[in-house]
Amino acid sequence: MAAIKLKNIVKSFGDTAVVKGIDLSIEDGEFVVLVGPSGCGKSTTLRMIAGLEQATSGDIVIGDRVVNDIEPQHRNIAMVFQNYALYPHKSVKENIIFALRRLKVENDDIERRLTEVSEMLQLEELLERKPADLSGGQRQRVAMGRAIIREADLFLFDEPLSNLDSKLRSHMRTEIGKIHNKFGRTSVYVTHDQVEAMTLADKVVVLHDGYIAQAGTPMEVYLNPANVFVAQFIGSPSMNIIEGRLFNDHLQIGNYRLPRKQLSNVALQGVINEQGLPVKVGIRPDFFNDSRLFPETDGTFNFNQLQIDLIEPMGFDKEILFNLAGGAVKARLDLRSDFQRGDYVDLIVELSRVLLFDNETDLRL
Amino acid sequence: MTPLERAEARFGWKLVAPTIVILGLLILYPLMYNVYLSFFDVQLNGSKTFVGLENYIKLLSNADYYSAIATTSLYLLGTVVGTTLLGLAMALLLRDPFMGRGLVNAAIMLPYVAPVISVVFGWQFLFDPISGVVNYLLVDLLGLWSERSNLIGDPDSALWVVVLFDIWKHAPIAYLLILSKLVSISRDQYEAAAIDGYGPVGRFFHVTLPELYFVLATVVLLRLIWNLNRFEDVYLLAPNVETLPIFTYYQAFTGVIDQGLAAATSVIQLGVLSIFIWFYIKKIMKW
Repeated sequence: MAAIKLKNIVKSFGDTAVVKGIDLSIEDGEFVVLVGPSGCGKSTTLRMIAGLEQATSGDIVIGDRVVNDIEPQHRNIAMVFQNYALYPHKSVKENIIFALRRLKVENDDIERRLTEVSEMLQLEELLERKPADLSGGQRQRVAMGRAIIREADLFLFDEPLSNLDSKLRSHMRTEIGKIHNKFGRTSVYVTHDQVEAMTLADKVVVLHDGYIAQAGTPMEVYLNPANVFVAQFIGSPSMNIIEGRLFNDHLQIGNYRLPRKQLSNVALQGVINEQGLPVKVGIRPDFFNDSRLFPETDGTFNFNQLQIDLIEPMGFDKEILFNLAGGAVKARLDLRSDFQRGDYVDLIVELSRVLLFDNETDLRL
Repeated sequence: MTPLERAEARFGWKLVAPTIVILGLLILYPLMYNVYLSFFDVQLNGSKTFVGLENYIKLLSNADYYSAIATTSLYLLGTVVGTTLLGLAMALLLRDPFMGRGLVNAAIMLPYVAPVISVVFGWQFLFDPISGVVNYLLVDLLGLWSERSNLIGDPDSALWVVVLFDIWKHAPIAYLLILSKLVSISRDQYEAAAIDGYGPVGRFFHVTLPELYFVLATVVLLRLIWNLNRFEDVYLLAPNVETLPIFTYYQAFTGVIDQGLAAATSVIQLGVLSIFIWFYIKKIMKW
C-alpha cells in the first residue's frame, strides 16, 4: 500500500504537450478517479504513474520512492487495461497467476489465492480456457483477477469498463467498488464516464486540456463546481448555462429578476455599476421543480409561464426543454408532472442552487 | 445438396478445371512418370527394361548415396538454423521505426532478389584463392591461417561456403516473415507483462516467442522443404558439394548415365518431402 504524489508533471509528445503541469496527492488507500473528455491527458497521467510513459518533467513519488527512473516491472503495481491485454496463448489460470510466478510465490499459496480470486470473480469454470474463447465480460473479469491476485502497492485502472455493454458495465462497477472496500488498496481509475467517477471515487479529479480543472469529493464537484467546464462535465444531463446580468440587488435572467441576497452560493465583493455585470448562470436540470409539487418559500424563485418546446420521456423521469433568456434550457421532472408540448409551466428553483460564473474566465463567482 | 448448391459446385469445378489440367500436365504427369521410371533400366536410346526394385537396392548399397544424405543433412541443419536465427535477430533489431529504415530494409532484401547467377560469381570471386578478399583478410591481414586455400575447391570447406551463401541469400525472407508478425504483436501485451514484473528477457520469452511460434515454425519448415530440393545455388557456386539433388543430377545426366537410378533417388526424396509437407499442413497450419 502506498500514497502517491505527482509534482508538476508535464508530458509532451514531440511538440504536443498532453499533460501540462499536474500536482496531485493521493492518500494511502484512497480511490481516485481521473475523469475528463478524450485528449485531456488522463490516460497519459495514469501511464506515467505505471511507468509505461516517462514524464517530460516533474516527479512521481510512490510510497517514499521517487519512481521517475524506475521501470514498470520494479514499481510493484497492478493494472487493468482498457483492452484487457490478456496473453492469448496462456490459459485463464496462467494469465491470472503470471505475476505470482515471477515473484516465485509458493505453489500452495498460488493455488489458495487463485481459488479465492476465481470464486470472487466467478471464474472457476473458465480457468482452463484461452482468452479467445471468452466473452468480453469474462475477459474483463480475468483482467481484474490478474490485478487483484497481486499484493501490489497500487491499483491502476485504464477505462476498464468502456468495452462492456451498459448492463454489464454497471454490474462490474459495483463489483469494483466492493473489491476496493474489501482490500482498501490505493487505486487510480481513469474514465470518461462521469457516472463511474461519481459512484466509485473517494476523490474525483476532473482533467481538462492537460490541467486539473478541479479535484474533490464527488459531491463537491457536483454541487460546487469550480468552473463552467466541471459544471457541465459532471452530472447528467449536463448543467444549463444561461446568460444573465448581475446587479447590486438582483440577478436578471431574461425577464426574471432573482433577489441577490438569497443567492447564497455567490461570493462577489465590490459594487457593480448601473449596467450590471454580464455573468453565466448555472442551474442543473435536476434542480428545477414543478411548482404544483414543490412549496414556494423565501429561499426559492418561481420561473413562471415557461412554454415547453419538447418533452423527452424516460420512464420515471422526463426531460423538458424550454427557452430561457434566449437559450434552450433543460429541466428534469418525474412522472407526477404531466405536461404536453406547448403547455406553460411554473418551475421553482432553490436560490442556493443557482451558481454564477465569470463571463470571461468561466470561473465561479 | 440443393439445386442451387449443385449449380454452384458445377461452376466451381469449371473455374478450377484449367488449373487442374495445367498442374496435371506439368507436375502430376512427370511425378508419376518418375515413379514409373524408377522401376526400369533406362537406355539412352529410349528402350526400357523392367527391373523391379533393383534400382532401389543398388541405390541403398551405394556409399555415395549415404554421403549425399550426410551432406544434405548438414546443409539443411546449417541453413535452416542460420537463416531462422539471423532473420529473427534482424527482425528484433529493426522492429522499431528509425531514420532510414526503408534503406536498411532494401539493403537487407537485396541478396534475396538479386539473380542467383550474378551473386554466385561475386562469391566465387570473393573466395578466389589468389585474388579473393576472403583469403586476403583471413591470411594476409589477420593471419588466422598460415597459407591461402581454395575454400570452394575443397568439398569439405565448400559445404560451409554454400551454407553461408544460402544463409546470406535467404535470411531476408525469414526476416520479412518474422518482422511482419513481430510488428503486429500488440503493445498492450508487453505493457501488461512489464506491469506483471517481467523485464525485457521475460517479455521476450513470454510474449514475443509464443506469438512468433507459428511464423518461426513456418520459416523452419518452408526452409527445410525448399532446401531439400535446392539445386541451382549449390550447383552454381560449388558443384563439388554433393547434396541429394546434385547427386541425382550426376546420376541422371553425367558420366555413366543411369536415369532409372536417378528416378529412384528422387522418389525417395519425394517421400521425405511429403512427410515435411504433411507435418507443415497438419501440425503448423492445423488444416
